[in-house]
Amino acid sequence: MMTTRRSFISGTGLGLLSFTVAGSTVLMSPRDARAKNADFRILSDREVKLIETFGEALVPGARENGIAHFIDQQLSVDANDALLMIKYFNIRPPYAHFYRTGLTALNDYSRTVHDKPFTALDDEAANALITTISNTMPEGWDGPPAPLFYLAVRSDAVDVVYGTVEGFERLGIPYMPHILPPEA
Amino acid sequence: MNSATEVIIVGAGAAGSVYAAILAEAGRSVTVLDGGPPWQLTDLYSSQSWARRLKWAEPHAEEHAGDSLWFNFNAGRGYGGAALHHFGVWPRYHEADFKESTLYGRGLDWPLEYQDLRPYYDRVQADIGIAGDAEAEIWRPDGDPYPLPPVPRFAQGDILQKGFELRDMHTAPVPMAVLTRPYKGRNACLWDGWCEAGCPIGALGNPHVEYIPRALQAGAVLQPYSRVTRVLMDKRGRRATGVEYFDQQGERHTLHAEFVVLAAFGIENCRILFNSASAPHPDGLANSSGLVGAYVMSHTSANLFGMFDADTQNHMGLNGGQIINQDRFGKTRKNGPFGSRQFIAGLAVKPNDLLGIAMTRADLFGSKLDDFMHRAARNLTNMVTISEDQPLRSNRVELSGNKDAHGFSLARIVYQTSPDAKALWRDGVAEGKEILAAAGAKEIWNSPQGAQHIMGGTIMGKRSDESVTNKYSQTHDIDNLFIGGAGVFPTSSAANPTFTLHATSMMSAAYLRDNFDSL
Repeated sequence: MMTTRRSFISGTGLGLLSFTVAGSTVLMSPRDARAKNADFRILSDREVKLIETFGEALVPGARENGIAHFIDQQLSVDANDALLMIKYFNIRPPYAHFYRTGLTALNDYSRTVHDKPFTALDDEAANALITTISNTMPEGWDGPPAPLFYLAVRSDAVDVVYGTVEGFERLGIPYMPHILPPEA
Repeated sequence: MNSATEVIIVGAGAAGSVYAAILAEAGRSVTVLDGGPPWQLTDLYSSQSWARRLKWAEPHAEEHAGDSLWFNFNAGRGYGGAALHHFGVWPRYHEADFKESTLYGRGLDWPLEYQDLRPYYDRVQADIGIAGDAEAEIWRPDGDPYPLPPVPRFAQGDILQKGFELRDMHTAPVPMAVLTRPYKGRNACLWDGWCEAGCPIGALGNPHVEYIPRALQAGAVLQPYSRVTRVLMDKRGRRATGVEYFDQQGERHTLHAEFVVLAAFGIENCRILFNSASAPHPDGLANSSGLVGAYVMSHTSANLFGMFDADTQNHMGLNGGQIINQDRFGKTRKNGPFGSRQFIAGLAVKPNDLLGIAMTRADLFGSKLDDFMHRAARNLTNMVTISEDQPLRSNRVELSGNKDAHGFSLARIVYQTSPDAKALWRDGVAEGKEILAAAGAKEIWNSPQGAQHIMGGTIMGKRSDESVTNKYSQTHDIDNLFIGGAGVFPTSSAANPTFTLHATSMMSAAYLRDNFDSL
């Protein structure tokens, strides 16, 4: 069946994903999942904190828009159905290993350079470190290629901040969907 | 489970759907096995993130050293294949593309000429509905006029056209497999720039709007989640008897048929042929020439970006663009590289994804990225230079030592952009920047080298020792085994391949239909 006109459905460009809140499965956006403190399925508390800090430094607004919940939820589904841009990077699934080792490498590298975890860096130090890993494989980095890890998490952050109806609005452009991703 | 049909087609993409429609309409029983989901148009959500469901996660092909062909980005998953996310840019190949060896002593000759394909271009064009201005395309080879008026221009198209004009370069509306008005019961485009996510209203010419419906109407059976691993042969190794495939639960099946058409994307076709090796075919099926996997090509490309003061309306229109320039399509140039190149300008962009606004400046993050996004969302223009690749035997698909979930070897791609293509890329980037400067861009930059489309690997040719198939995509070695898709192309041209892929598939399917009982 063809859609004969635009279907304007309220929601977000990322659609509603399946999260668990207080033991119940709920469809909601990553942003709402964070606000409602939905359970994490794959990432540890330490990894969540790190990915939120890293994501926020890459794209302002990523934390509030649920980058950690988005990545965590996507790591819990069949990789072929995943919405993560890492699919384009010729990384063999499961992708959790890529994120885990990347986060560990990020923290370890931060400790090597600054003697403190990435989450404890001030803005200036964090930005300098990100600039380094964005275009080189720094000595002592023990994880997936640093620029690739930067690009993957940056892409996830871009998805949750700009790739939504609200993100389009903030940029001053209309979303104009034919069909928005599914809702409940 | 063992069962039978007259024709098995592996892959429900562009080539497979053409074969399925032509053969089913001739009364043949046709079964199409596709490894992915049974996408419908209504599954195509307007979201760059959700569009990624249309791509594989598991790399069935590993990319080994050299340059990347961006396999996972170029390939498609499920019904519609790569054509489900393709942009609908449908220029024809030029006459010289088919006889480069004869005319220039470079590249390879096809075993056919443009005039052999022209009737099929025209027929496909009438089937699908192409919008364009044939007279304005001064480079276009002979062909019927387009059935639909050209795509409209939005602000960035106007801005960039001025740049071409100031450089004394000609432009024409991009020939697009996109409906500019209702056609054959399908809806016209809304110019919302969501092509890459798949077009759910049927305005873009993907397999779901024409050949899959026709195949189903004629009785063809489409079967999703059926991953074909091998072509089965008779004991003497003379004729294909069917295929082996695995379902979503990992259960093995065989299906028997009189003919097998491999249309599973060029790289996957090679993998299946290699994995089908047996005592009579120790190096893989259809590989007596040793050329299965050889001559893999891509279109070397770069996006060229300009930031303007004006509102460019870059969210409007089509991902495929608004205007085309083929002034540099001539193969030879004094002291310059061999091969064609073209520009397509005015490509619609969205904020996220690999070809989105944020990725145009992958070096930016934090507040600088946010500032850039706000400017670029209103003031960015986007054009692309596309260059011809050369068929090099050293660029090839082979088997990897790693296995898939069913224990079959993955493909491994060994690819290095040809020196001519690299030089054409550099020339295209330099000239594109001059066009942007002439148009008045305040900031100008380009993407890294990219790879659009994948061609070759099972090339057609006149001689069985120099190619894998004849001009009808029938393998030289096995009469009842055909290859569908751009894998049979011996040269890449600089033109986008989907129209030519449809034309060659229709010609080959018609040959199989007309000679079914004698092959």
